[in-house]
Amino acid sequence: MLSFLTPARRGSGLGMAMPALLLLLAFFVIPVAALLSRSVTEPVPGLQNYETLLGSATYLRIFFNTFLVSGLVTLITALIAFPVAWALAIMPPRMAGVIFAVILLSMWTNLLARTYAWMVLLQQTGLVNRMLMATGIIDQPIQLTNNLVGVTIGMVYIMLPFMILPLYGVIKKIDPAILQAAALCGATKSQALRRVLLPLATPGIASGALMVFVMSLGYFVTPSLLGGTANMMLAELIVQQVQSLLNWGMGGAAAFILLVVTLALYALQLRLFEGKAR
Amino acid sequence: MTSPYLHINGIRKTFGDVVATDHVELEIGEGEFMTFLGPSGSGKSTTLYILAGFQDPTAGDIRLRGKSILQTPSHKRNIGMVFQRYTLFPHLSVGENVAFPLRVRRAPQAEIAAKVKRALSLVRLDGFEERMPANMSGGQQQRVALARALVYDPPVLLMDEPLSALDKKLREEIQYEIRRIHQQTGVTILYVTHDQEEALRLSDRIAVFNRGRIEQVGTGPELYASPATHFVADFIGDSAFLTGELAEVKDGRATLRFNDGTHLADVPMHGAGARGGKAELMLRPERIDLSDAAGPQGASLPVTVEDVTFLGNNSAVTARTGWGDPLYIRLNFGHPMMGSVGRGDKLHVRWQPQDAHVFPKA
Repeated sequence: MLSFLTPARRGSGLGMAMPALLLLLAFFVIPVAALLSRSVTEPVPGLQNYETLLGSATYLRIFFNTFLVSGLVTLITALIAFPVAWALAIMPPRMAGVIFAVILLSMWTNLLARTYAWMVLLQQTGLVNRMLMATGIIDQPIQLTNNLVGVTIGMVYIMLPFMILPLYGVIKKIDPAILQAAALCGATKSQALRRVLLPLATPGIASGALMVFVMSLGYFVTPSLLGGTANMMLAELIVQQVQSLLNWGMGGAAAFILLVVTLALYALQLRLFEGKAR
Repeated sequence: MTSPYLHINGIRKTFGDVVATDHVELEIGEGEFMTFLGPSGSGKSTTLYILAGFQDPTAGDIRLRGKSILQTPSHKRNIGMVFQRYTLFPHLSVGENVAFPLRVRRAPQAEIAAKVKRALSLVRLDGFEERMPANMSGGQQQRVALARALVYDPPVLLMDEPLSALDKKLREEIQYEIRRIHQQTGVTILYVTHDQEEALRLSDRIAVFNRGRIEQVGTGPELYASPATHFVADFIGDSAFLTGELAEVKDGRATLRFNDGTHLADVPMHGAGARGGKAELMLRPERIDLSDAAGPQGASLPVTVEDVTFLGNNSAVTARTGWGDPLYIRLNFGHPMMGSVGRGDKLHVRWQPQDAHVFPKA
């Protein structure tokens, strides 16, 4: 009766995945393909959209901004998330549960609300500037919004859970006795961190970093609210091209480049980490 | 007076209200194989963790060659340890695992290569340098762990139930290996186990732990022949306990009176017990004999045979004393009684005076 659960039938699970695949085809693959096809057909057939994008300093600047911010966000997120994930892994489960709840709650809070909150905090007379001035670190308020500093701060905050969760997953699986063994073998704390803990956590760092980097590449809300028009990022360019200029060709080309970079990074990760796990 | 090689001096460790170890006092000689034997929660592992530096004692001191090591952090103690669980670094090859302690000490490359080769040879894993831990059996992994713990010539090697995850046959094989390695290297070993057979097989001396305290320290034969407490008698070897009342206590010898009025005089008494108090007589099944005739006073009791089971090289006899306590006797093959003894026989058990012990009953 339950023959569809037996191993012999499990190989043909494709049938059961069909509805989801069809949905993806109809609402994801076809629209994206349509947009991409416009990048080589509008306004006239050819690669001129790509030539413009990759040939002009203005657009290259946008690519540079995008990769710079995404890279910084990934790096800073990893640096903050690692100790947090480590602390979560070794603290009593009940306390870790509370902190997880806080992290998830922040994730579930409306993105716009959170980004506007950062605008308030980061403005000239905002809390951050006032605190920095009160402690004497700065004399004058510094510009924290309408530039890439603000974008980076806002995005690090939003991306943190996406780094903490995979890192927590790998660190939790590391037997504490392995670190005790490292200590008795003579490893100082930093040697144990560099030679044992970090290598063992690398798959988690890599999957978290890929997630954060790829999400950052295509992020729109935070850059557009905290970044200002002078420091545009790729997603803003796509929106501008499609919505304001109705230039579907350029928008499609930018989206396609984003997709290629994302897939390339994903392939790299698969090659470096998945193969090793076998 | 020269100080002992390793001195565990009055270690006490409490977790909140729970006393994990109390007044643990032990002197260990250089090159000695000392086993901490006891049930789980008896404080043996806590003592080992304090030695390793993973926990600080609430009171007491640990001195190695006369110097306290308590202020030294784990990574500077230079102590070797093999853990209960597999703790090889999964991302490093066997060779790199064994090289790890030398690398963090920044030893020269040539020295590392030579020492790794020697250590792997010691545990009979020559040529396994390139193997990854995940591709090895549990027994092999523990041997690599042993090589990793010995490669830097530690003054003390700690072993925390290293064989408990292995099956019985493999366990015996590696016990033999550990013995050989101990003899070959002369390293001082502190070994924790709850398995009395393992302790007897490996150790020079055994410290029997119970409820956070050491009940007795001695060689295997000493613990077996003259247990200091009821717990030790019960934990090492088989034993039967007969409960009676102390009719007299004098010069470390007791007279016991049992329920049916039977008196047993002049038995060695351990611990403090006052006249009128309850006490237990311990007899080991293989140290008592069955006979038609009563033995000398104080080393013999009349019994009724209840059951006889033939077990190949011996027979297990269950008998009952006059007041109804069960008593077990092991008759070796060839014993004159074997074959003739049967249910309901009224006989006498006899023993050598030094084989019976009386412990006060709390």
